[in-house]
Amino acid sequence: MTSGELLAPLARRRTDEVVVTTMSTVRPWGRYSDSDLDFASADSAMGHAADLALGIALARPDRRVICLNGDGSMLMTLGTLATIVGSGARNLILYVVDNGGFEITGHQPLADHGRVDYAGLSRAAGFPSVYFFDHGGDYAEALDDVLAAEGPVFIHAVVQRGGEGPISRGPEAEAAYLRTSLAESARSLRRAL
Amino acid sequence: MTGSGLQASACLAALEAAGITHVMGIPDNSSAPLFDLLSEHADIELVTVSREGEAFAIASGVWIGGGRPLVVIQNTGLLESGDALRGTAVRMGAPLPVIVTGRGYAKMERAGLEPGVELDAELLTRPDVDSVALLTEPTLAAWGVPFARASGRDDVGLVGATIEQARAEERPVALVLTQALS
Repeated sequence: MTSGELLAPLARRRTDEVVVTTMSTVRPWGRYSDSDLDFASADSAMGHAADLALGIALARPDRRVICLNGDGSMLMTLGTLATIVGSGARNLILYVVDNGGFEITGHQPLADHGRVDYAGLSRAAGFPSVYFFDHGGDYAEALDDVLAAEGPVFIHAVVQRGGEGPISRGPEAEAAYLRTSLAESARSLRRAL
Repeated sequence: MTGSGLQASACLAALEAAGITHVMGIPDNSSAPLFDLLSEHADIELVTVSREGEAFAIASGVWIGGGRPLVVIQNTGLLESGDALRGTAVRMGAPLPVIVTGRGYAKMERAGLEPGVELDAELLTRPDVDSVALLTEPTLAAWGVPFARASGRDDVGLVGATIEQARAEERPVALVLTQALS
């Protein structure tokens, strides 16, 4: 599955969900979406996109929150899987976009060298709905059901290696949601909610 | 730490008065009475985290979502939280009050040391001193987080004042408790 095969179907189905991206999904998501409800966890705290998204979900239980987390980011805070389930949040949809390495810095391998079963981990942590996809067609076909599943939802999506480099914020950024500071971006999403 | 510090019930009343909606953290022996009260609270949602750094990211998300969060962690967990605090609440300018329970302050007092004592390798390895207490306030200062110190029951007003300061200045502000909640 390519990054586009993962993100484009999601962008087409997305309505009023908050979408939090980080690392290798930040710029690609910006090519499919330009919404006030998009938020890039960039120039932020590495490994903390999923828990940031959880906070939004807890404050707004009426609104679904989708987090496009990375595999390296997830490994940094695996305990967040337990925190999400323990929090009782049902409106969080957590992707682990698994590109098999640290894409931003040149695809160095992660600590697990590809051995971690993220779907298995999330199932063991108590996520009621867990999915694994490595084929774009299968994913697109199942996505409506995935997004309607009992939350919190966990999706382990294996994607091909991409070519995303370091991310920075500024007025020249390709993705619209990277053109303001983290502080202003947070306030913008807060106003939109 | 002893039980002559702030009363947990008075602390909770201050949180209620300030409209706190969510509390994130991990209990220690000092904050346990407050966590016990919060676990049964009808209006304030308690989120127990797996590791303290998560508390700052979750709290920042709660603020983005329109809530009014508070973090309660031990000073050991504060030190663990460095980049999470920096990269979320500090970087976003989120109005986030933080109650930090101060492990080691009683030992520091018994050793005749003040929180601002100059640090060196000998002091940080002394067996009669808990190094986390020595490092708490210098670390907060280094991270640009304003803080006050509450030492007894009469200091309960500092809870509300910390919350107000965080909101007025749109930044994390800490209240360090040098004695256990009772």
